[in-house]
Amino acid sequence: MATSQDHHIMPMQTTGPNPVIHALGRLYGSFVGSFLIGAVAIAALLGLWQWLAVWFEVPTWLVPKPSDFLGRLVADWQTISYHAGATSLTILEGFALSVIVAVPLALAIVSIAALERGLYPVIVFLNIMPKTVIGPILIIWFGIGPVVAALIVFLMCFFPILVDSMSGFRAVDPRLFYISRSMGATRWQSFWKFRLPAAMPAIFSGMKIGVVKAVEGVIIAEFIASNKGLGFMIMQASSFMDMSLMFAGLIAAAIVALIFNGAMGIAERVLMPWGNAGH
Amino acid sequence: MAQMTETTQPLQSALGAHGSGRAGASIHAKGITKVYGQGGVSPFHALGPIDLDIKPGEFVSLIGPSGCGKSTTLLLTSGLEPVSDGTVEVDGKPLTKPISEVGIVFQDHLLLDFRTAMQNVLLQQEIRKLDAEKIRARAEMLFDRLGIRGSENKYPRQLSGGMRQRVSIARALVHDPSMLLMDEPFGALDAITRTQIRHDLEMLWLETKKTVLFITHSIEEAVGLSDRVLVMSQSPGQIVEEIKIDLPRPRPAHLGEYPEFSKYAERIYKIFAKLGVYKF
Repeated sequence: MATSQDHHIMPMQTTGPNPVIHALGRLYGSFVGSFLIGAVAIAALLGLWQWLAVWFEVPTWLVPKPSDFLGRLVADWQTISYHAGATSLTILEGFALSVIVAVPLALAIVSIAALERGLYPVIVFLNIMPKTVIGPILIIWFGIGPVVAALIVFLMCFFPILVDSMSGFRAVDPRLFYISRSMGATRWQSFWKFRLPAAMPAIFSGMKIGVVKAVEGVIIAEFIASNKGLGFMIMQASSFMDMSLMFAGLIAAAIVALIFNGAMGIAERVLMPWGNAGH
Repeated sequence: MAQMTETTQPLQSALGAHGSGRAGASIHAKGITKVYGQGGVSPFHALGPIDLDIKPGEFVSLIGPSGCGKSTTLLLTSGLEPVSDGTVEVDGKPLTKPISEVGIVFQDHLLLDFRTAMQNVLLQQEIRKLDAEKIRARAEMLFDRLGIRGSENKYPRQLSGGMRQRVSIARALVHDPSMLLMDEPFGALDAITRTQIRHDLEMLWLETKKTVLFITHSIEEAVGLSDRVLVMSQSPGQIVEEIKIDLPRPRPAHLGEYPEFSKYAERIYKIFAKLGVYKF
């Protein structure tokens, strides 16, 4: 058994890896490599699209060519970036509000048993409820505008942040508090130095889900309840049958989502350097 | 202890420059018991009553079956858990709140993932608001002594189990406590690491002479480290026998070199057999 295995292994070891394949393999694994591969794939897809649209003479009002909507992205960049800015601000407001409310609330719920029993069922009910349903009610309260969109974003990312923060605060080993108490730590110190940072990875994973939900939700919220932002712009373009602007808006929305998700990744690396410290 | 004089020198000079080198505390407990959920529907009598009389600088092990209340004893003697009955005096003063002149090491290193090894150790200084320079120097000395030099800036998950436990020992000693409480500190380590770290702890103790209360499941560890072994019965734990270990120090890696070792070990096995801990 052992000898037959040796026979299989030996020739492979002697030839060694092909240097070109090796270099390609390294490129494949690296960040630049994956970026390049992605860019090539997207360019190929758009090229195919362009060619098919020209070949079959598809009218622009039905399916615009990549050259049409990429052109609009350049030509109308002022309008589009104005709306993209509004969308980003709405995401930021809604997301920040939900972090500010959800994290302390999670701590309170975990620390106070009565709150957990009383409040948690209500929260679960609100979580199950489709969030956009509340839009028309909010419109009556606040009027059509970005405030309503921000509030819907708030509701969308509130629950994942709350739930993950709660499990983060819960998961802290209780014996850690013996150690903090033996150091004579005050309640504030044991929260600030032990419990909060220990819960941070869980809070962060909640925030990451929250951001994904926020960039998804913000467009829908702007469809129904705003007078600016990419969702609003796309809605308006739709009523004018301006297909290429709608597609340009779609790309702008994807870029906004990409920026927010990327920013979360960077924030995680900066704030929690221990998280990616390998063995 | 004649052999102490040789090993005392380097640490004393380090402490002379940077710290007081506080001596060990005495622990005196009388009739302490612990009942969890007292006054509730189903109170659980976890421990006692037990008496403890630990002299300054003594190394005492508590050995006994799982769940007999060893860890509880540790928490009661440091005031981290209140006693249900009885009194504890540390250095002659009755305990009413957690004492802070103590270092604790648990079985799991319980280091903070988000701090490097050095930052974990310096947490003592941050929270106690001690002199930063003095404590840093002590921390570096301890890293040296515990053989973890070079790991200062690593995060706990980058370290091996044995190294993490060494960092947590450094954390427990950096503020120069008078008492070191260890709850099965080597329980999760492999046999080779355990033997080495046992020796390193013994050397450090010989030099600093802290009072150590050491909890273990391992007869070898108890006999290999202690001045005195207290054998406990099953829950609710009581101290059934006290064994003075009269072996020269520092003790060797292979305790079988001492014929007395197997006599001590046999005595403890026999007590466990009598208590019904072992059913062979």
